[in-house]
Amino acid sequence: MVLVSAAREYVNRMLQDISGMKVLILDSQTVSIVSVVYSQSELLQKEVFLVELVDSISKSKESMSHLKAVYFLRPTLENIQHLRRQLANPRFGESHLFFSNMLKDTQIHILADSDEQEVVQQVQEYYADFVAIDPYHFTLNIPSNHMYMLPAVVDPPGLQQLCDRIVDGISAVFLALKRRPVIRYQRTSDIAKRIAQETSKLMYQQESGLFDFRRTEISPLLLIVDRRDDPVTPLLNQWTYQAMVHELVGIHDNKVDLSSTGKLPKDQQEVVLSSEQDAFFKANMYENFGDIGMSIKRMVDDFQQVAKSNQNIQTIEDMAKFVDSYPEYRKMHGNVSKHVTLVTEMSKIVEERKLMLVSEREQDLACNGGQVAAFEAVTNLLSNESVSDIDRLRLVMLYALRYEKESPVQLMQLFNKLASRSPKYKTGLVQFLLKQAGVDKRTGDLYGNRDLLNIARNMARGLKGVENVYTQHQPLLFQTMESIIKGRLRDVDYPFVGNHFQQGRPQDVVIFVVGGTTYEESRSVALQNASNSGIRFILGGSVVLNSKRFLKDLEEAQRIAKSSTNVV
Amino acid sequence: MATRNRTLIFRKYRDALKSVRVPSSSSPSTSSSGGGGGGPVIELASTSFLNHNRKYTPLSTEDPGNSSKGALTVGLPPAWVDVSEEISVNVQRARTKMVELAKAHAKALMPSFGDGKEDQRMIEGLTQEITGLLRKSEKKLQRLAAAGPSEDSNIRKNVQRSLATDLQNLSMELRRKQSTYLKHLRQQKEGQDGVDLEMNLNGGRSIIDDDNLDDMVFNEHQMAKLKKSEAFTVEREREIEQVVESVNELAQIMKDLSVLVIDQGTIVDRIDYNIQNVETTIEEGLKQLQKAERTQKRGGMVMCATALVIMCFIMLVLLVLKTILF
Repeated sequence: MVLVSAAREYVNRMLQDISGMKVLILDSQTVSIVSVVYSQSELLQKEVFLVELVDSISKSKESMSHLKAVYFLRPTLENIQHLRRQLANPRFGESHLFFSNMLKDTQIHILADSDEQEVVQQVQEYYADFVAIDPYHFTLNIPSNHMYMLPAVVDPPGLQQLCDRIVDGISAVFLALKRRPVIRYQRTSDIAKRIAQETSKLMYQQESGLFDFRRTEISPLLLIVDRRDDPVTPLLNQWTYQAMVHELVGIHDNKVDLSSTGKLPKDQQEVVLSSEQDAFFKANMYENFGDIGMSIKRMVDDFQQVAKSNQNIQTIEDMAKFVDSYPEYRKMHGNVSKHVTLVTEMSKIVEERKLMLVSEREQDLACNGGQVAAFEAVTNLLSNESVSDIDRLRLVMLYALRYEKESPVQLMQLFNKLASRSPKYKTGLVQFLLKQAGVDKRTGDLYGNRDLLNIARNMARGLKGVENVYTQHQPLLFQTMESIIKGRLRDVDYPFVGNHFQQGRPQDVVIFVVGGTTYEESRSVALQNASNSGIRFILGGSVVLNSKRFLKDLEEAQRIAKSSTNVV
Repeated sequence: MATRNRTLIFRKYRDALKSVRVPSSSSPSTSSSGGGGGGPVIELASTSFLNHNRKYTPLSTEDPGNSSKGALTVGLPPAWVDVSEEISVNVQRARTKMVELAKAHAKALMPSFGDGKEDQRMIEGLTQEITGLLRKSEKKLQRLAAAGPSEDSNIRKNVQRSLATDLQNLSMELRRKQSTYLKHLRQQKEGQDGVDLEMNLNGGRSIIDDDNLDDMVFNEHQMAKLKKSEAFTVEREREIEQVVESVNELAQIMKDLSVLVIDQGTIVDRIDYNIQNVETTIEEGLKQLQKAERTQKRGGMVMCATALVIMCFIMLVLLVLKTILF
């Protein structure tokens, strides 16, 4: 609840004190921030009758002095420039400026300079600078996410931008929570270290007054980890509802775009999947695919019952009852058809790409040992005609990550086979992945084979057997959370920044994954929070990954790395 | 939920910059105060008024000397704003009436010694008034609609939507109230077939009235009782019919409104979807326009060309004829 309600509260506060007709002006980032927590009808209730983007509103010249402008923008250079122009020639009666993060003094100066006609009524910082997609899961939607993989030696100009955005996002989350955290980071990752240090500098030096909330409780923990510490999770096929939709179709800001899948009625081409608005989705987002089928069947049955009772209208009382329940009925109708469409679409894809077969192998590669058998199985699947290119690539990657050091000859064989099978495969991508996220780079015990305890645990699990072959994988994050709960996160692997150390067990933990989170991890966090361990986890990332996005980032990074080494 | 207010700092900067800028921009303001006031005494008053006004620049609709500055910000809201305000006033009125109606309903349903006619009349009056208000507002709402892809029409559409949602909620509430009232009435009516306390009391009073007029006590008694109760039933029947009628009317309004109201939780209710939609419709409009222009141009050209070709033919024929004949 925390993140979503905090962001909602910020929007509420922006709008409630300004009476009269309003126009809300957003930028491309704050549109997502506001959209995931607020709806159009709620805006209308607050008398916001027009929502515009800051760069498109400057094109129109029409004067609308009967409206009051409420700007909600990120304090970026372009936005300030847009604002300057608009303040110099005001089209609206009043202007209320809200920024999603800390303004620099020079920025205020520029704005004050252009406000010759004194239309600005207030300038505020409301720290809603994160996209709260789920109650415990936020993302920053950074388009240039692939930058984090580049080595610091190259130091492309985009890297600093990425860092700044992440630092902004993290500090906004803590300002919204009104806490100042102690900060830890993953030792082996340069980018995690850099972000941790910059965040610490901001919170304890530059803006220490703003972050000083005079709280006496134990400070919360901010843990910054790198995606490359667990490259397996984004490569796996998913079988729980939310994660699966993202993997197979793609969720963007809680919206699913189905228009590419074929003939669908117009109102079904893009649907909303929000745990806040959709009770069915909230109840089933973490269930696996088989159970979803059952739940949907039950929902359809319920709906049919309602539909039947609506059909025989004989008396006036029936009619009155029908009219009363009609809006509810319509809502239900929309919801049922939405979920049915989604599940049908997904099962079609599963059938087409033979995902049952592929995924079983993937889970095996991720969770169980046995190199010889694995090699054989992967080779077989590579020659299977109905397996798609992307699945082949992922299988080889998973195999390579697991058996990086064992029998390089067989690994080479797999590379060759992959290259001959999938013409689109760019050579060296798997090698690049190994270079980026190989065993030497990782801090966490990804496969649970480094210390004796983990090996023993794995063996115990192997003896017990698993409930569901397709969902047996646990992300590395799960282990990290467990060690935090038990207070066993090692200082050597996850050092503190500065001299602010943890005293006692934290109650709030924010884990930020540089490079993006997955919905599988989000599920893991939500389940952990539901289990009442006394610690509340919040997960954040620069984007929400599915395997497509992860591979795209990888390719992009490889391309840049290659061209920069060529230059050098 | 931390926030930080930077307004003070902003004001400070702005005022500092203003004092720097004074030499260039002070001339219009002094001239305005001079033009606005006739004498020194009035000038004092008017300057203070101006200063006060400056805070709300958009509101200052007159200020002759300042026109160059004022022209940008001054502007009366478009006419449809009045319509929307009328509707919201109507909604407000309907809402207060609704509270009264609820009270009247409660009163009418209480067992009473009178025949309750006054209550009935009041309820009827109120219900009609509310439905009237709703219908009027709904008609006005249709007038708000505007065509065209401009921002203004967008606002109008949104205002329309928001008012429609209000109206729909109101009419739903009214209907719910009526149907519960109806149910209670029905129950009471059924109760009268048996021995009803209220009925007995009513009848008891009528006995005394009848006593003075007639001698045939017992039979007349029963007759009167029967008649009374018959009249009562007819009366109630009529009321029920009326309520049903207004329910139907409301249903019609509801149907009309449901086109406008946004379904919550759907893609239409997403803010970003609406923004995208506006952009695409504008782009599409532009494309259509360009296409239309092209076809129009080409159409004229083709017509011209064909006409010329036909003329050429005719001339040729004429020429041939001329050479053959002469």
